[in-house]
Amino acid sequence: MDLDEFRRSLDDWLDQNEHDLRADPAAKDTLDDQMAQLAKVKRLTYEAGFMRRGWPERVGGLGGSSLLRAYLGEALTSRGLVEPGIYSLTEVLAPTMIDYARPELAATMVPRLLRGDETWCQGFSEPGTGSNLASLSCRATRTEDGWSVTGQKVWTSLAQYADRCVLLTRTGDADSAHRGITALFVDMDSPGIVVRPIETMHGAPEFSEVFFDGVVVPFERTLGEEGQGWSVAMDLLPYERSTALWHRAAYLQQRLGSLLQAAPPGELEPADVGEVAQLLYALRARSRSTQRRLAAGERLGPETSIDKVLVATAEQAVFDLVADGLATGVAVGDDPASERWRREFLYSRAATIYGGTAEIQRNIIARRLLDLGSDR
Amino acid sequence: MDGGDRDVFERSLRHAVETHSGGPLDAALLELGWTDALAAHTHEAVSILFELEGSLHASSSALDHVLACSLGLDVPPTAGYVLPPLGRRSPPGAVDGAHLAVRGLGTAGLLARETTVVVARAVNTEVAFLVPAADLVLRPVRGMDPELGLVEVSGTVAKDALRPEVVAPSWPAAVALAQLALGHQLVGAARTMLELARRHALERVQFGQPISGFQAVRHRLAETLVAIESAEAVLGAAWEDGSPTTAAVAKALAGRGARTAARHCQQVLAGIGFTTEHEFHHYARRALVLDELFGSSRSLTRELGTELLATRRLPDFAPL
Repeated sequence: MDLDEFRRSLDDWLDQNEHDLRADPAAKDTLDDQMAQLAKVKRLTYEAGFMRRGWPERVGGLGGSSLLRAYLGEALTSRGLVEPGIYSLTEVLAPTMIDYARPELAATMVPRLLRGDETWCQGFSEPGTGSNLASLSCRATRTEDGWSVTGQKVWTSLAQYADRCVLLTRTGDADSAHRGITALFVDMDSPGIVVRPIETMHGAPEFSEVFFDGVVVPFERTLGEEGQGWSVAMDLLPYERSTALWHRAAYLQQRLGSLLQAAPPGELEPADVGEVAQLLYALRARSRSTQRRLAAGERLGPETSIDKVLVATAEQAVFDLVADGLATGVAVGDDPASERWRREFLYSRAATIYGGTAEIQRNIIARRLLDLGSDR
Repeated sequence: MDGGDRDVFERSLRHAVETHSGGPLDAALLELGWTDALAAHTHEAVSILFELEGSLHASSSALDHVLACSLGLDVPPTAGYVLPPLGRRSPPGAVDGAHLAVRGLGTAGLLARETTVVVARAVNTEVAFLVPAADLVLRPVRGMDPELGLVEVSGTVAKDALRPEVVAPSWPAAVALAQLALGHQLVGAARTMLELARRHALERVQFGQPISGFQAVRHRLAETLVAIESAEAVLGAAWEDGSPTTAAVAKALAGRGARTAARHCQQVLAGIGFTTEHEFHHYARRALVLDELFGSSRSLTRELGTELLATRRLPDFAPL
């Protein structure tokens, strides 16, 4: 199925099933509500076949270009059917499983993620390991029963909802840096795991701390080989900066469109509106060419840091404009629409922090794209 | 144009732009068949030539050909074109009763022309007049970038004395094509500024190490690359969708991106970049003037914002 055909049939289907796909009108748009809505939309789109397009047949997909996935996420996001951040975790974690899990494991697990039966999370950051990911210390040691994992993760999105976790562990010496890291696929109901959601300034407990105390993980749950965890992480990041990012761009476009409708006359400066729209043009144009490279089978690399800088810049610019154009609502409004704008504005402050800070992206650009050598 | 043809075309254009500028480059382009390629392979002809002119600090009258190609008027091929005045994209002519008032710019080649084409706004469309160059005041511009060879054009001509006007409905398309050409030229200039600063950062040693190791320097250069790639991405999208709105966005991003490049690269080059011993200043000067042609980044941005606030709708840009 080509993109145009997919687009037509998906748009028709979404129009016809609008009623079933909409969130429960009684829902309050809390994170619990958003997760329930996500599971419903994934199940319906999977059963109708759309969610299976663009994924390989060996993991329950129907094959076809990854552009189909990009368009599905765009359509669901711009119709306001799913929250893009939680939807796009699939785009980050499923390719990792396909590339690195044992084939039988991927074949069993990936359909559960696509169908919305399960939620997965990504255990990377630690209290002492933010930008310097290679310094992580959550330890996995070999025992007769499998790996035994002890340590702590933080900023783990959706951990309190998650059934599985793609976890980076230290299996080499403490000073083995990126060489001594191993990725594991962990059941979140394993004994010894404690999840504690973090209260954040935007009011949704999207991130958690996760504690591991002697958690046993079978050896066949190793992703890639022992010591290959750094490759798993590095291969995952470009996914985070491609299809997931296209979905975020669709969301930002939808929100800027809503702002244009909602802002009272005279509250927005034309020059500011023009500049933010141009940033979105640039983001969309750049991300589209990245989507096309991915679909053509090109290996994505450090150049996606430019896409990441653009999305973070655009997100903060859109919501800075919201804070100007809807200043009263954002500052003192307590109606549901104002609460949503405020929550989104506050969340946008994190755009230059999560998934590699703005500074780390610029370091990557300097070292890998401009060939300026090491900065240390 | 297939890949092999494109490479040959690019190599021959590169050689011409490396060895000539101004009038001799115009002659070389004619000999190379660039003007013929412009009609058949507009995208390649415009993007390759103008990026080269930008990156190698060359100038030519190629913009006249771009307008001629896009307007498609029935005028003598030797006529020169009057460009919009600085900072604007509106036509250079205005009809006032029995007179045509002209205020605009021209490329260096205009000084050698006998006849000029002046597009003027009329009700709902644009009309073009053929105006003898002798009836206009042509002032060779020195200004910020004397080597660009711009000409300032002004004058008031009695309408009756002119050959009857021709309708020129394709002015917006001509503006869009000129904006793409200038966008590529700005990207070329910005890439050269970045490369000059990058090389300097790797060679210049302070505190016992190349300054390329300092994050403050690295981040300025990274920021510059992001600005350039943003403009490049939208230029590509504009060629693909052919929309005047996208071309204007691309021009604005290229203009702002080149200003960003000039600011960061000059700071990294520091003292040497402030001297005429270093070539940086040529590119910085050019970027500032090119940003003002066919709509500055500032005016294009404000116009886009005004339009969006009037319609309260966002176009679906860069669809998959």
